[in-house]
Amino acid sequence: MLQIQIPYDPTTNPLNNNEWSFPLLEIIHIVGFAVAIGTIFMVDLRLIGIGLMRRLPSQWARDVAPWTLGGFAAVLISGPLIWSSDPNMYLNNGAFRFKMGALLIALVYQYTIHRKIAFSDPSPAVGALVGVLSVALWVSVVAGGLFIAFV
Amino acid sequence: MSVIELFRWVQYTDFFTAFRESGLAYPIVMTGHLTGMALFGGMIAITDMRMLGWTMRGSSITDLVDQLRVWKRIGFVLVVGCGLMLLCAKAELYYHNPFYWTKMTLLILVGVHALVFHRSVYGNTAALDRAAKIPRVAKLAACISLLLWVGLVSAGRSIAYFDVPEDLTPSYGLR
Repeated sequence: MLQIQIPYDPTTNPLNNNEWSFPLLEIIHIVGFAVAIGTIFMVDLRLIGIGLMRRLPSQWARDVAPWTLGGFAAVLISGPLIWSSDPNMYLNNGAFRFKMGALLIALVYQYTIHRKIAFSDPSPAVGALVGVLSVALWVSVVAGGLFIAFV
Repeated sequence: MSVIELFRWVQYTDFFTAFRESGLAYPIVMTGHLTGMALFGGMIAITDMRMLGWTMRGSSITDLVDQLRVWKRIGFVLVVGCGLMLLCAKAELYYHNPFYWTKMTLLILVGVHALVFHRSVYGNTAALDRAAKIPRVAKLAACISLLLWVGLVSAGRSIAYFDVPEDLTPSYGLR
């Protein structure tokens, strides 16, 4: 695996010099991801056709959009801060690289194909395909994050 | 059999020994725990926000609660099922961790919350929808629910930051 080194010494980073900021950021990260991914799953369940059937995908998508975005904001602020505590360790961790790749694809997918299809109330087959792919992408991001500590 | 004896016994059963030592199964179950958390926690958060009047005012509380019910239950089963497996794998380590017991206390309070507010709020959504303004009891239930939820996550994450004393560490170590 290609080694990457950025010239940054994290020993003076405030995250490494007090006991509470790192776990606090992790808590923000977890609450944020649960809200973001939980609300995306709501739209996905409707698209797949296995739940939340009494409203249209476009109605769910419109209503949860600000909460998904709010969750993303929490995750995308806390995440880079957590990374800054030991950037070279993360950059050279295979699971972290997988997570960043999956996250990039999932985010682009979320705001292009997923958004377009959900707002257009697609046929069941198209909806199912788009919903299943969305669930798979987001579960991959979560799995990538967890495996950081295990590779 | 005392609790500590039970915890010691379960972690050394063949199944949980193999699970603890597997490089793959353990993080996969953790992924299940977190995916269930997103499903369960995300939907609880949305329900609470609706009760506070912050979102989905165009549709009724009844409609939202009814449609989310089964998926909240599935999320709950996933998060608790995976959580139980993680507990059993390293039960003795959790036993000595005060944050684990904080988390279990909060989990019991989640149950108490559900019982206390079932009649007035969660099982009474039609009346909430008929009211001109969302009743204060529903907003109270929503606020407490959000606090419990964030508290559970916080206690759960804090478990990793407590160092079990060396003389109480089980044979498989701290990790």
